[in-house]
Amino acid sequence: MSVTYGLTTRVATVNSHHIELLLQANGRTMNDVFSMLFGVFLILGTAVGIVVISYMVYNAYKYRETPDSEVAERERPQLGELPQGSGGGKKLAISLTISAVIVIALIAWAYIVLVDVEAGAPESEDPLEVQVEGIQFSWQYEYPNGHTTNTLRVPEDRPVTLILTSGDVFHTFGIPAYDLKADAIPGQTTETWFRPNETGTYEAQCFELCGSGHSAMESDVIVMEQEEFDQWYAETGSETNATTNNTTDGSATNNSTANDSTATTTENRLLDGPAPERQLAATTRQ
Amino acid sequence: MTEDQPRDDHEAQPDGGHTHRSLTEGATTTSTLREFFTRDHLPPMESVQRWLLTTNHKDVGILYLVTSLFFLVFGGVLALLMRIELLTPVNSVLSATGYNQTVSIHGLIMIFWFLSPFAFGFANYVVPLQIGAKDLAFPRLNALSYWLYLFSGVLLGISFFQGGSFEGGWTMYAPLNVPSYMPNIGSTTTVLALLLFVISVTMSSVNFLTTLHRMRAKGLTLLRMPLFTWSILLTVWMMLFAFAALLAALLILSSDRILGTTYFTAEGTPGSLLWTHLFWFFGHPEVYIVFFPALGAMAETFQTFTGRRLVGRKWFILAMLLVALQSFLVWMHHMFLTSINLEIKTLFMATTIGISLPFDLMVFSLIYTMVKGRIRFTTPFLFTFGGLLVFIIGGITGVFLGAVVLDYQLRGTYWVVAHFHYVMVAGVTALIGALFYWYPKITGRMYNRRLGKATFGLFFVGFNLLYFPMFIAWETPRRVFDYPAGLTPWHQLATIGGFMLGVAFLLVIWNCYWSLWHGEKVEGNPWEYATTAEWAVPSPPPLENFPGVPSYDSGSLDFLDETPEASTDGGTAVAGDQTHESGDHHDSHASPWPFFIGVAALVFFLGLSGISTGGIYPALTIVGVVFGAVSLLGFGMESFSVTEPELGERWPFEGIENGKLGVWIFLASDVVLFGAFIGSYVFLRVGYGWTDWQLVPHDPIPGLINTYILLTSSFCIVLALVAAEKNSRWGLIAGLSTTLLLGVGFLVNKGIEWVELFHEGIWLSSNVQASTFFLTTGLHALHVILGLLILLFLIPRAINGAYLDDERPVEYFGLYWHFVDIVWLFLFPLFYII
Repeated sequence: MSVTYGLTTRVATVNSHHIELLLQANGRTMNDVFSMLFGVFLILGTAVGIVVISYMVYNAYKYRETPDSEVAERERPQLGELPQGSGGGKKLAISLTISAVIVIALIAWAYIVLVDVEAGAPESEDPLEVQVEGIQFSWQYEYPNGHTTNTLRVPEDRPVTLILTSGDVFHTFGIPAYDLKADAIPGQTTETWFRPNETGTYEAQCFELCGSGHSAMESDVIVMEQEEFDQWYAETGSETNATTNNTTDGSATNNSTANDSTATTTENRLLDGPAPERQLAATTRQ
Repeated sequence: MTEDQPRDDHEAQPDGGHTHRSLTEGATTTSTLREFFTRDHLPPMESVQRWLLTTNHKDVGILYLVTSLFFLVFGGVLALLMRIELLTPVNSVLSATGYNQTVSIHGLIMIFWFLSPFAFGFANYVVPLQIGAKDLAFPRLNALSYWLYLFSGVLLGISFFQGGSFEGGWTMYAPLNVPSYMPNIGSTTTVLALLLFVISVTMSSVNFLTTLHRMRAKGLTLLRMPLFTWSILLTVWMMLFAFAALLAALLILSSDRILGTTYFTAEGTPGSLLWTHLFWFFGHPEVYIVFFPALGAMAETFQTFTGRRLVGRKWFILAMLLVALQSFLVWMHHMFLTSINLEIKTLFMATTIGISLPFDLMVFSLIYTMVKGRIRFTTPFLFTFGGLLVFIIGGITGVFLGAVVLDYQLRGTYWVVAHFHYVMVAGVTALIGALFYWYPKITGRMYNRRLGKATFGLFFVGFNLLYFPMFIAWETPRRVFDYPAGLTPWHQLATIGGFMLGVAFLLVIWNCYWSLWHGEKVEGNPWEYATTAEWAVPSPPPLENFPGVPSYDSGSLDFLDETPEASTDGGTAVAGDQTHESGDHHDSHASPWPFFIGVAALVFFLGLSGISTGGIYPALTIVGVVFGAVSLLGFGMESFSVTEPELGERWPFEGIENGKLGVWIFLASDVVLFGAFIGSYVFLRVGYGWTDWQLVPHDPIPGLINTYILLTSSFCIVLALVAAEKNSRWGLIAGLSTTLLLGVGFLVNKGIEWVELFHEGIWLSSNVQASTFFLTTGLHALHVILGLLILLFLIPRAINGAYLDDERPVEYFGLYWHFVDIVWLFLFPLFYII
């Protein structure tokens, strides 16, 4: 999956797959949900914008002053009169009702979707849990075996739960390619999850101004095939191998700390490959 | 500023002998100054003195407008620096900290020092005219608000020269905002500059609220007020409460930065979440605070230039009222990505969507007003029309952010940047329309029409070229200078648009400047179908605005002969009279003290910024305190007369006078201030574990004694007031003095308690318990000290026989003192017992 940018790409990616998702009762993930909602909001928003602005410009043109405008056509405001309105309350009420219905329907739908994805990574699929700590100006990832690194390596097609906090100031962790974002707050933990669906190297970034190095507070996210990941993960059990691995992955620094726990088989259990459309999801919750 | 019509203050210019160009010389003695300034007439507008001395609402309005346009240029230059940096996707021009400062100060200047004061320039100039008042309720306080605003901006500018300004964004998130992460003195100065600005805003709010509720012309009930005035009324109500929350946040932040308290760095407790709550409780109403005046200006210009009264006027007002109330219930939608739970997210999503609907109504109301109109596309209408158009786009894109799932992804990206610029700069666009609309009223000359229309074209194209590409390139993270290379063309387009918009702003300023001399002259009202009272008087209006007492009693505006109760002068005039003879009016329009207090505040806060680093700073602080004390004394001693109109609409405050209402309104904002402090304490304590929290004082007895002392002192001030009413001079003095002694006793008792704690090694910076205890009770002690200083001012005057005929100052002081006592009744159990 290549990282794509731009509004047009977003709209273009709304396809029949998303229409199916609309009708699907559950199993939706954040990445799908975002593309779908964003596409629908864009289309409706553009339509509403065009209608309202056209109506506004049309009326401005239609009722412009012309040499043959009838001055005494109707009663006009007088200097010094007590401020008062002209009628039109009914028309206003209808317009408001229409716009309220559109907005409330959209938001209600978005809310149902929210509740759906807010539940977190499905426990049945044994998500990989990684602790993420933001420190000016890098991200540290700690695996269940105690291995610590600056590059997030995750297996393909297995849910990953990220538990975030900050070692210093307020940061926001985000992986744009996976529509994933959560605050990293000192003294607090937030949780989010996603399901990497395609191997490759992505970028994680800080989204809250955190000091002089904010613009460069990035790290690589490497999605690996399951076996490759298992192999790498097993090697992180011993300190020497951890160091080797981290230098080969090309990350700038290696803050691996000595650790004594080793990878357990449960952590590395292979999963059944999930349906391809169930890509990933992100959520923050208490 | 040119004058086309001879004004009374020009002719009556007896003091030609004075050649003082500048009044900044602190060396001039108080007595000379008092003699120098004790006069009824202002210097002419060409004189610098005029602008330093004036307390007239129209002059202050002009000062606000000119100063805010200066800050527009300042903030605009910073914006263009950012746009130049963003021409390429890599770091090129600015350093990393330089870029962060540019981002932060651009936001702070545009929101605080440009947008709001620009709107308040119009509010100052137009609102008293629209409601039929000669001036604001407290003209000197108004001038003081202006000078504090100006000098807070100067202080902000100075921050760049103190090792760098604030670099944590306009939202100032904690704990990045504390010295361990941002040690520059300049950062502290920025916080203090904002603090000073908030003080100015609070005074302004009290002033406008008193004016709007007490000084409307007869027949002009609240519901009948013109829409611009309505928008300002609701704006100032929101300001009063929202800025009090910001004041609390900034006081705590200043204390964290200067005294070393640990609110925002508290370990294990959510110090950084505390900041987000305090900030956004202010921050969201602030959005409406800056936008409402623009909305009011839109309503006025739409009515005038379409020749139609507003469709659904009452609904429009109701919608604004709903927004103003609900604006205090949406702040957590800025925090969807923090650890707040789903229930709270749901609640705030609902309130957020709820607050967008009244805006739909207002937009439709404006659009329907055009139907069957006779629309004239003058420059002011073009700008407000364009403003409404881009506001619609801003509103639609805002609905995206209201959907929590989309907000998760859109937060921290250029979608947000584009959205709020479409909203905020829509407000600016409408206010530029307001500038052209009221320009002939303010100057007596018409702007250059052809240039005005051309400027609008450039402005509108520049605006959309600048901000629309940001929607397309929305995946750019906010506040970074390196972004994905694929987005470069969009950012380059935006930069081109930015420069076009910048040139358009300069052309607006140039047009205003050029037309001062070359614009065609304008009589009272150049706009067909304008209805509001400011157009019924000459342009510019005379010093005291109206040729008689304005009244709407007959159903439309009349100027009545001045009644003996309203004013002692016999000068009357009929409607339409061009030159109002002010004769021997007793209202004052000049005072040097607001300016001096402003200078003292600048010196004081500058000193405070670096006080812990030594050097020149402690000396500056002391100079500021001394100069401030002298200026405040001068302010208090000056005889400055303002007549309250006898006739008028005052609902719901018929029963009390302006001064008392002012005190009440101020205390209302103080309630929010203490509420925010107590709320912060409870928030931190709950985060820490309520029962694990160690109370700082070991013994509640000193606190209990202080409770009794304060209650007794409240009783004494009541006795003093009773004595004053009974004309008993010695009873009054005894009551005031006993209150003073009890207040001193309170402070001594507290001092002993604190000294004992210091000896045990417990100080502000010891831990979060000590920080909250010392700072909250310290803020209360500061209120007590302020009260005692007022008493020290009242007692000598009471000895000289003051307050027997007019006991109101004692009564106002009593209100304040009772409030301070009541606050203690909350603090004592919270910090000593529970």
